[in-house]
Amino acid sequence: MSNWVPTDGTGENFIDWLYARGKQRSDRIPEFDAEKTLRRARAVRDAGAVNFWNVLSPTERRAFESAARRQAFPAGTALMREGERADDVIVIIDGWTKVCLDEGGRERVIAERGPGDLVGERGTMPGNVRSASVIALDTVQALVMRTADYAAFVREHPGVPDLVEKQTYDRHTGRPGTR
Amino acid sequence: MPPQAPYGDAESLFRAVYDDLMRAAYALLGNDADTEDAAQNSFHKLMVAWTRVGGLPTAGEQRAYLVRIVINESLQILRYPYRRWERLGVDAGEWGAIQESPDESVQAREDLRLAWKAISELPAARREVVILRAAGYEYEEIAVRLGISISTVRSHINHARQQLSRAGARGRERRKNE
Repeated sequence: MSNWVPTDGTGENFIDWLYARGKQRSDRIPEFDAEKTLRRARAVRDAGAVNFWNVLSPTERRAFESAARRQAFPAGTALMREGERADDVIVIIDGWTKVCLDEGGRERVIAERGPGDLVGERGTMPGNVRSASVIALDTVQALVMRTADYAAFVREHPGVPDLVEKQTYDRHTGRPGTR
Repeated sequence: MPPQAPYGDAESLFRAVYDDLMRAAYALLGNDADTEDAAQNSFHKLMVAWTRVGGLPTAGEQRAYLVRIVINESLQILRYPYRRWERLGVDAGEWGAIQESPDESVQAREDLRLAWKAISELPAARREVVILRAAGYEYEEIAVRLGISISTVRSHINHARQQLSRAGARGRERRKNE
């Protein structure tokens, strides 16, 4: 036990103590699963952008609304399902959702998305498949837009794709969702 | 690692250095769940930043960039609202030993907290070197991973020792006065 405490706390030998411990700990590393990490990260990326709606200009919002349809999702229903074809993108107007993966029969929540967030942004790549499910936690009001229409919307409003990328990036300076 | 052409996509780069990244993150975070989160966030960030990372001239620079991402992501997790400094860098096995002796446990944890806090306040380049050292790497290995010379590594470690030593002295001083 006494050898646990670093010499003098933060003293000169502390780095040596950390090094010794780090060498020991490196035995643990093969237990981590790169495939799982890659899959989760992709799903987070595909889960779209936080705060998408709020950073659009009023003109962009009107354009988006006129090209989208309104849809309500009761609590517990899926806005999109892992493995299905990605035919549209969705902006959540009201209510909350969880973004989750099926990991060998166990559900892993990797993010939460709520009002103003865009989900299924990878829907803009033709022929894509959903990499995660998005499930309504309460009644969700949303704007659903076909992939082709979203692609046109992005073309006509050149500021949008950058903004999505930036939002996605900023969000992940924190940690995704909850456990 | 021999010099080589840059990686063509984010995934090959990530796979190539996966073990190293996990070691560095685990050294900082001390538990599986946070380490996995740090790795996941890092790969996500790498994909988003790929236009930039993909354009770096050598594989070494790409690896160094990714090491930086992982260290930053790990530090972000430590900063996140949970106040993780409380259990910073103490892994499950060590907790058992610490908890057997409550008095020492408080002291040890406080020491470790102050030490990591001091490390997090080092200049970025120095901090990266110290964190890789804490992941159990030799100087040569750190040099390769960060694309710097061994003497630069040595110099960072020496300066860090002095800085941490001063931080430790300040911490002890504060405790004495409490």
